[in-house]
Amino acid sequence: MVNTEYGGIVKMLRFFVQTKNFSYVDRIGNALNPEPVEVALLEALRAFRSIRESAPIDKNGRMYVEKDGNKIPVPGIPSDEEIKKFLDDVRSDMGVAKLVATLALAYPSRKENSGGGE
Amino acid sequence: MFLSVGVRFEANVEALNMVETAGNYGKHRRVPYLVEEEGKLKTVYVPAMSGESLAHAYQEHLVREALSAGLPVCDDCQRGEFYKSMNKVHLKKKVDPIPDNPKSIEEAIVKACVVEDVGGFLYAEKPPVRRSSAFQVSYALPVKSVALFATSEPQLHARHAQMDASSKKGNASEQMIYYVETGTALYGFTFNLDLDAVGVSAITSKPILDEDEIKKRREASLKALFRMLSSSQFGAKLSRFFPVGGITELVVAATDYPFVVTSPIYDDYIVKTKKRLEVLRSFGEESFLAVAGEEKVPEEALKEAIDYLHEKGAF
Repeated sequence: MVNTEYGGIVKMLRFFVQTKNFSYVDRIGNALNPEPVEVALLEALRAFRSIRESAPIDKNGRMYVEKDGNKIPVPGIPSDEEIKKFLDDVRSDMGVAKLVATLALAYPSRKENSGGGE
Repeated sequence: MFLSVGVRFEANVEALNMVETAGNYGKHRRVPYLVEEEGKLKTVYVPAMSGESLAHAYQEHLVREALSAGLPVCDDCQRGEFYKSMNKVHLKKKVDPIPDNPKSIEEAIVKACVVEDVGGFLYAEKPPVRRSSAFQVSYALPVKSVALFATSEPQLHARHAQMDASSKKGNASEQMIYYVETGTALYGFTFNLDLDAVGVSAITSKPILDEDEIKKRREASLKALFRMLSSSQFGAKLSRFFPVGGITELVVAATDYPFVVTSPIYDDYIVKTKKRLEVLRSFGEESFLAVAGEEKVPEEALKEAIDYLHEKGAF
């Protein structure tokens, strides 16, 4: 199932959506070939790492960023295996990129813990 | 009269168009670009400057030229904040009470501000009024044949703060490191200016201003372009990343009706532009072309074009 296979990427992109930065999810979702997906994911990971490094930690030990008065939890960084599988799958089927971007734009399911670091 | 300019400029280690920052990382604008390699097309990501960025710079120069010629510029535009009468709040500064028909609204705005006359506006209220910009500008993109050599590379910088034991709080660092992504490329962009649209209503196609005022505004628009290219005052971060390089080639065409020079991202753009103009001439249409390269500096070519337009009575 895509949501579990690429859960880390979906959570990271969803974090950007919650902070009103649609750039990465739009570029991944609207890409016509694999190259834009690769570049957008690289840039998203770079930005995400920078954000995590400077994110404060609440009393429950969770990283968050504040946006418009709301505390948005910062999820974990997707694993290298997940990234590799995602990029390999995108090279064979562009529909995977669109699906991941669409999931990132949807509300998370109730079962899912949408943030809070590893 | 229609003016079209193709510009090639070399910029090394520039931060002319930064997009977003993430933590301590400031990114340069980048765009996907199609290049041919070994007979196949491939997509590469290259540093770029948006047309919006270049247009902003042009309009800032237009403000200065208009004011020095004694022409009207609204308060917002004088501050370099190009709201362009986007709503009632901004329009009321020019005309109060606001007229209820689009023609009168356009007339009031055009009379009150050269920048909105030349650069267009969108009044997004009821009734909405839209005026297209008389000038057009492309993105600045790396020249195709050398696009693969373009780079965007982060440069490390540091900012220091002196701290003694009493002023140091928590684990605050005395040194803050940050990265600025810089671009290096041979860029090309196109700039067009439709002089016939200056001072003329976009709704009725009839002049809003008298001929003398229109001519003054056309002259200011041309001088603004000259100044922008001559001074290299366009783009961001000039204070510490003023591009190392300058205009390497420039082609400028003036025609009676719209004609756009071949994009300078192609190596044969000068030859192609000349050929295309010859076809126009064969139809009996007058035109002017000047090329700046090794023999002529860009200012000379631009000046020749401006002189030609002056002789033709454009201003």
